[in-house]
Amino acid sequence: MTEIHLGRNVLDHQLLDKDGRRCGNVDDLAIEGGAGETAEVVAILAGPGYWAQRAGLLGRLAGWIGGSRRVRIPWEEVQKVDSAVWLRRAAPDYGLGRGDDRVRPYVDRIPGADR
Amino acid sequence: MSKLLNLALGILAAIGGFVDIGDLVFNTAAGATFGYQLMWVIPIGVLGIIVYSEMSGRVAAVSGKAVFDAVRERTGFAAGLSALLASEVVNLLTLAAEIGGVAIALQLLAGLPYRVLLALGVLALAIVLWTLHLEWMERVFGYCGLCLLVFAVAAVKLSPDWTKVGNGFLPHLSQNNPWLYLYFAIGLLGAAMTPYEVYFYSSGGIEDGWTAKDIGLNRANAIVGYALGGFLSLALMIVGASVFLRHGINPEHLGTIALGAEQPLGKIGLLLAIVGILFAVGGAAIDTVLSGAYNVAQFFGWEWGRYRHPAGAPRFALSWVALLVCALAIVMTGVDPVMLTEYAVIFSAVALPLTYIPILLVANDPEYMGVHTNGRLANVLGFAYLIVIMVIAIAAVPLMIITNVGQN
Repeated sequence: MTEIHLGRNVLDHQLLDKDGRRCGNVDDLAIEGGAGETAEVVAILAGPGYWAQRAGLLGRLAGWIGGSRRVRIPWEEVQKVDSAVWLRRAAPDYGLGRGDDRVRPYVDRIPGADR
Repeated sequence: MSKLLNLALGILAAIGGFVDIGDLVFNTAAGATFGYQLMWVIPIGVLGIIVYSEMSGRVAAVSGKAVFDAVRERTGFAAGLSALLASEVVNLLTLAAEIGGVAIALQLLAGLPYRVLLALGVLALAIVLWTLHLEWMERVFGYCGLCLLVFAVAAVKLSPDWTKVGNGFLPHLSQNNPWLYLYFAIGLLGAAMTPYEVYFYSSGGIEDGWTAKDIGLNRANAIVGYALGGFLSLALMIVGASVFLRHGINPEHLGTIALGAEQPLGKIGLLLAIVGILFAVGGAAIDTVLSGAYNVAQFFGWEWGRYRHPAGAPRFALSWVALLVCALAIVMTGVDPVMLTEYAVIFSAVALPLTYIPILLVANDPEYMGVHTNGRLANVLGFAYLIVIMVIAIAAVPLMIITNVGQN
């Protein structure tokens, strides 16, 4: 069993999908197990709906712009943890990277966008 | 051979890219006000930017983390968000000042109305940013920025009293108006160690695909490029002292700075100076606007990088477009770019610790950095400069108020 330090090595780290696409950050973690029980990390939580509550007024203000989207990725989907957190599948399979995917069609219409 | 060539090309671009509107304004004004008395501050600032650029470049090469990845994971979301906001405000001020500088340089060449040139300048920058590879942007602007070497020729041609110049390298305080002297000292340090340079340097390393194998290249680039860039700062100060102090002129306009090269070298000197200023400031505008977009994208985990092309990193592309538009709106109000520069430099001095502390922390983490973790030299220098920038950050705003933004 390898030991992972959640605070230092997982929380607030970059999420990468199977192709190395940057698709968000680890904005929070879900842990199961009450006090005195064995605790287990069950999911990575990502999206403005999670981070907006972590920074007081400024966070809520940023969340107001960013929206309230929440994405829950089961911990089993984590392929490896190095300086980033790698997932097993492509970003859209989890509902990640949606912001970039939504803006892309408009950006694509401007000449030279793929050069 | 091609490796050596690449190194040389990178360094050339770094020299041209070191000087921005902050360096132009503060070095010349310091020379025009205090002669050679502040020469000693320049090497201190240059060593500081070398230490932290090398460190951030090494972190980028080894761990693949750019500055705002490190900020977010080391300080957490809440503190990181404040750091992000502060950096974006400073970046925007700097960007607005650089854009104003571009328009002033264009005005000296073309003579069209200032606001028309602002719009044309921003449009040209946007097209360059949208279509050109990062490497080519750096090279085109870096090489043309080398025209600024005309100030080095001018400095020698003006035959300053070299003994006095040498004495300027001994740290001392001025008896005559010490507050203004300290204000300039902090401005010179802030201009040399501008945060966007470090953001850009580390993100650029990742754009260039640096790995642990490139840390030698990183070191050489940072040391040689910035040290030679520092020579341009020294030249600007000597010109400021020899031309403007002698005649009692306060170079309040960017065009006045270019006149410093005309006096000893004539029309050709003036032309080279203006072209050099145009590309140096234009290149700095590109670095600044990309830095602003890098920071936001890294903080929120979006896809980023010029190497992905706008379609590959759409929110990143949209971010720099938005920053460019906001900066244009600021300068369109008619605010004086030189004044804006002073504010930008002084506030960047305040924001410096937010950038430098997380880099120092990650560079000391053996889990990511392995054998490339900070050695003793990097840490001694890193901590020494951390103290320096803390002092600067605390003193900057009070000095700005006491001296009425360097006006008295």
